[in-house]
Amino acid sequence: MPSERLRTLPILGDRIGEIEQICAKYPERRSAILPVLWIAQKQEGWISEDAMKEVAEVVGVTAAEVYEVVSFYTMFHQHPVGRHHIALCKTLSCAVCGAHEVSAYIREKYGFDAGKSISRDGRFSIEEVECIGACTEAPAMLVGEKLHGDLTPKSIDDVLGKLD
Amino acid sequence: MPVDTFEKVYLPNIERGETEWLEEYRKQGGYEATRMALEMAPEKIVEVVKDSGLRGRGGAGFPAGMKWSFLPKGVYPRYLTVNADESEPGTCKDRPLMEQRPHTLIDGIICTCLAIESELAFIYIRGEYYNSADIMQKAVDEAYEAGLLGDDVLGSGRKVHVVVHSGAGAYICGEETALLTSLEGYRGYPKLKPPFPAVSGLYGKPTIINNVETIVSVPFILTKGAEWFKSFTHERSTGLRLYSVSGHVNKPGVYELPMTVTLREMIYDYCGGIRNGHDLKFVIPGGSSVPWLLPDQLDTVMSMEGVQAAGSFLGSAAVMVLDHTVCPVWAVTNLGAFYRHESCGQCTPCREGAAWMHKILLRLENGQGTMEDLDTLASIAGDGTPNTGMISGRSICALGDAAAWPVGSALKLFREEFEEHVKLGHCPYKNKRYWMADGKFVNETFEHHPAWGH
Ligand SMILES: Cc1cc2nc3c(=O)[nH]c(=O)nc-3n(C[C@H](O)[C@H](O)[C@H](O)COP(=O)(O)O)c2cc1C
Ligand code: SF4
Repeated sequence: MPSERLRTLPILGDRIGEIEQICAKYPERRSAILPVLWIAQKQEGWISEDAMKEVAEVVGVTAAEVYEVVSFYTMFHQHPVGRHHIALCKTLSCAVCGAHEVSAYIREKYGFDAGKSISRDGRFSIEEVECIGACTEAPAMLVGEKLHGDLTPKSIDDVLGKLD
Repeated sequence: MPVDTFEKVYLPNIERGETEWLEEYRKQGGYEATRMALEMAPEKIVEVVKDSGLRGRGGAGFPAGMKWSFLPKGVYPRYLTVNADESEPGTCKDRPLMEQRPHTLIDGIICTCLAIESELAFIYIRGEYYNSADIMQKAVDEAYEAGLLGDDVLGSGRKVHVVVHSGAGAYICGEETALLTSLEGYRGYPKLKPPFPAVSGLYGKPTIINNVETIVSVPFILTKGAEWFKSFTHERSTGLRLYSVSGHVNKPGVYELPMTVTLREMIYDYCGGIRNGHDLKFVIPGGSSVPWLLPDQLDTVMSMEGVQAAGSFLGSAAVMVLDHTVCPVWAVTNLGAFYRHESCGQCTPCREGAAWMHKILLRLENGQGTMEDLDTLASIAGDGTPNTGMISGRSICALGDAAAWPVGSALKLFREEFEEHVKLGHCPYKNKRYWMADGKFVNETFEHHPAWGH
């Protein structure tokens, strides 16, 4: 039974029931760090220091240990991102099929200032990432949780244009 | 397209991209392997898999049945971990397996758990595969509901539980010991072997790790027989294989083929040749970590032995095909950035070597390199074979080797082009248009892009 205190946590409190079920699947509670961090990131869009403290309390480790884990994995955002986060693959198969051009296209068309990773209107953030396992559909990107491959200017506009 | 004389079993309908849910899987005779395995002694299942010659599909090609028999006798609990981290650049065959055949994977997991006497299995799926994780979780829920998973598998009294676990973006977590540390809730740092996971793995307990495709092979071997599996054989490579073919072929995709196929047949017969009638420049035959092949090696048989005889490795069977618009220096700089980014940083040769190589490569590609740089690079990277240079064979895990081999190999094969960069003071590949969309090149005014930095 989760303690009442956990239920009052500002970020994870309303997901404690689900979190307890996840923790129970593992022989050792610490294994639930990644799944609980994923929940924290869903709650706020990124992982703040406060979120790390809550994860630490829920999983039963120190905040420093949570930070150690967060900072190892590239998909955890340690800073706020746009409303829609684009992870564009830049590794070889995508790079030889237009990833550079896709990057330039999106950055120009969707209002990114040079060198910035969040668009001026805060609608999108973009990160050129290493291989996302969509090599046979290059060039490819993830927008939020959804994969889009065989990108063309039109298909990019179809996807991004629909998002608020 | 050649007419195939064999029956595809892993992904027969890959183009449709549909998920085979429980009802459909059952209609196709699904979970027959589980039923068979429940009637068999564990050693018997291991024996059938050994007899089939099944070797790991994750990269190293270790015989699966033999790995399972390394478990220390009488030590429990034991765990099974399915490696669905699939992050070797070029590789994307485990994703369609999970998204289209989730129950075949669960069937394989149950059979393997019965074989190795494990009651708990984990599927470690790379974080970027949100959809695969969702589908696998739904399929696992279906299997629990149907009594296929749980404390009493199909009323047999045997227990098999499955946990779907998502990573969060780290190539190194595909390395088996790193995967286990990550699953335990730590940074994904590899560990020195021995002890091997089969002896001391997850939570210090005996643990078997196999790739998704390896585990998916098990139900086919049980229901169709080891002899069927061995009917596709080249030397010591048995069974059908999923090749991820990417890059400049007309029809990139995941191809299910016997390992007797040659590189030429793969590129020209199955994948429709090189885009736009271009010339082939080079091929990376087994994921980004392996040495490269040249167009005069097109007759290479794409088995583990065949590719090795050609001087490379079949690895994860990810075949990257590059046409004459691709500068090899630029390409290896791209990979250099990858390994620099993905080195976990524990070992000095890998951490410093990967960064050092990438810095030199960037300099060369940008036209600021010197002839001396080439020698330095060769001294770090070696010649693309194991245990040469300053990194390969000197680090905890094989990522160090993986960082060095492509560089050593590119230097050996394309030395003249490296030298040309130095002499010209810039990359000789200019004004190549790479982005083909809807059958034509986009942005005609495209200038050669400098390689991405770190
Ligand atoms: C740096 C590195 C990355 C790896 N990535 C993967 C991977 O993404 N998927 C995989 O199945 N094996 C990967 N492997 C191989 C695993 O360590 C291990 O050999 C494999 O999962 C065993 O399964 P198998 O015998 O069925 O192939 C990687 C190895 C190294 C050194
Ligand atoms: S070889 Fe590289 S990735 Fe592997 S443990 Fe050492 S530093 Fe980490």
